[in-house]
Amino acid sequence: MQPEQKLSFVDRLRIMRETRFGAFVPVLLALAAIWAYFGLAVPLWEYWGDADAQNIRFIFLSPRNIYNLFMQSAVIATLAVGITVVLLLGDIDLSAAATAGVCAALLGVLVLAGVPGPIACLIVMAVGIIMGTAQGILVAYVGIPSFVVTLAGLLGFQGLMQKILPTGNLNVGDPFVRGFARVLLPDTLGWVLALACIAVFAWLNLRKQGQRKARGLDLDSKAAVWGQIVFFGALMLATVATLNSYRSVPLLIVLLMAITALIGWVTTSTPYGRSIFAVGGNPESARRVGMNVKRIRVSAFAIVGLMAAIGGIFGASRFGSVSYTAFAGGSLLLESIGAAVIGGTSLFGGRGSVWNAILGALVIGSLGNGLDLSGASAADKLMFSGAILLLAVAIDAVSRSGTSER
Amino acid sequence: MSEHENKVGQAAPSPHLRVSGIHKRFGGVHALRGVDFEVARGEVMALVGDNGAGKSTLMKVLAGAHAADEGQFFMDEAPVSVNTPHDASDLGIQIVYQDLALCENLDVSANLSLGAEPVKAGWGFLPRLLRPLDDLEMEVKAQAAIDRLQVRTLQSVRAKVGGLSGGQRQAIAIARAVGADGSVVMLDEPTAALGVAQTRQVLDVVKRLRDTGHAVVYISHNMRDIFEVADRICVLRHGGNVATWRKDDTTPDEIVVAMTRGLDDEAGNAA
Repeated sequence: MQPEQKLSFVDRLRIMRETRFGAFVPVLLALAAIWAYFGLAVPLWEYWGDADAQNIRFIFLSPRNIYNLFMQSAVIATLAVGITVVLLLGDIDLSAAATAGVCAALLGVLVLAGVPGPIACLIVMAVGIIMGTAQGILVAYVGIPSFVVTLAGLLGFQGLMQKILPTGNLNVGDPFVRGFARVLLPDTLGWVLALACIAVFAWLNLRKQGQRKARGLDLDSKAAVWGQIVFFGALMLATVATLNSYRSVPLLIVLLMAITALIGWVTTSTPYGRSIFAVGGNPESARRVGMNVKRIRVSAFAIVGLMAAIGGIFGASRFGSVSYTAFAGGSLLLESIGAAVIGGTSLFGGRGSVWNAILGALVIGSLGNGLDLSGASAADKLMFSGAILLLAVAIDAVSRSGTSER
Repeated sequence: MSEHENKVGQAAPSPHLRVSGIHKRFGGVHALRGVDFEVARGEVMALVGDNGAGKSTLMKVLAGAHAADEGQFFMDEAPVSVNTPHDASDLGIQIVYQDLALCENLDVSANLSLGAEPVKAGWGFLPRLLRPLDDLEMEVKAQAAIDRLQVRTLQSVRAKVGGLSGGQRQAIAIARAVGADGSVVMLDEPTAALGVAQTRQVLDVVKRLRDTGHAVVYISHNMRDIFEVADRICVLRHGGNVATWRKDDTTPDEIVVAMTRGLDDEAGNAA
């Protein structure tokens, strides 16, 4: 078509982001750029710059490092998935990391006191939900802006965590809790799982295409459908192959993917999820069609509380300890909000996806990991992260400006 | 012309929705002082009046957004009560507000089924809010609604509302209000912010609504639009009825005079 030739870059960006898979492209490009820089450019530069070097050392792209990268990003990703849900409403949660800290600290104290691991985890998840719900009630029913409520929560929960952990550090040795990060799926099971996921994904997509045809709706192009399937399959197989060639697929990653898939399905494919998007897009519209906006707000904060608690459990499991700096006092909060936003979830509400939050977490994790490997200082890391975050938000602002100005 | 002849009497079509003696007070302000109003199926009833005449208040009373202090409601001459928006929508009375209230981040089909999303069968063990959406059914319904109103310029029901023109948005909002079982549709200044081509599109949709047997209440200041689509014109002034005319029996000048000075003043001037 002739007019399409004249689209500007911004128009193309906007149109691309309107499609279902197009929203992934900017964050995937960012990830590819970071991986190419740390994985290929830096080793080659060192090889050519150093006459004594025997061979190129691809440390960043080694399976071992990729494995660590996934594990490092897992806690950020868990929180980012939760934060995405409140961002979709147009709210924000600044207290997620502190909530995770309180939950992890409580978990440590509970298992130390002899509570069995599974029960301790359930208690902690309930506590997370209660903390989130309480903040949600303040936001929705009392009418305090979420920024203020959760800022107060951030301060309060940091204090609470210090109260629970007067020493600031506690080792967690419970085998059940540690199991999340330690248990590895056997190689074959990893492959079977990946193939099963691909088969289900392909079946769902093809079945949908068939149903569209049967009902006479306009079809997605064949290339798009198969492109999605091939892309998804390649991603799954490459991930499993990489993880298997170092150790194998960790239970933690499988759990994270399963939880994300569940929340992703709830937010995109149920009336409840639709109401979240509606409230984020136009609360007045949602209210007029009879949605209970206040209850939806509270429930979203309950979800972020639950995800924070799960993040706390995962963190305690991975580090084998609970410390103040690893959760409430550290950079976890800004990294997880950054991950959600880098993934393309709008701070203005109504636009985004939990899967993008996972990719955003990988971007943040890769950046930290790569800068660590190349010996950058903490100062460099902070400045780089800031620049990437700014870039991501700029892409969001540019790509939405076209739609709202009409 | 006597006042009685101006009001459409026996010759008018039998009303679908009729209200009589509506009073509404806001504190000390007596916004509606015994208003009578009616609209029949298959007609467009324009509701006009100067600012503060009570058009919007009357519309909100009809939609149940304000409960009337006094007055009776009849649907097909059977008495009903409308005190909440829910009552009104149960009776098939729908309102399209001036701000449309569409979700720009969602596509057309999602907007059309917002709040009443179809879900797939066979998931009864889950609470309704968590059952899977039947988005294909949603698209089929949306396409049907769009086709009924003949919104020709719309490319696809999967287009995001944020990318649509003002006229298309108005049409989507109307289609959502009509839904499957809306019989009375009230439009509040639907063409106020639109250009010429967009206005045409909306007026075509309004005519389409009339032709499909809906009772349409059309609020506007624009005499050209009113004289194009309306069958009857009801003039309000200071919270009371001035008169109701058949479009063919009146002129824009007469309506403007009735809006600004009422009938008595006019009679006085003429004398």
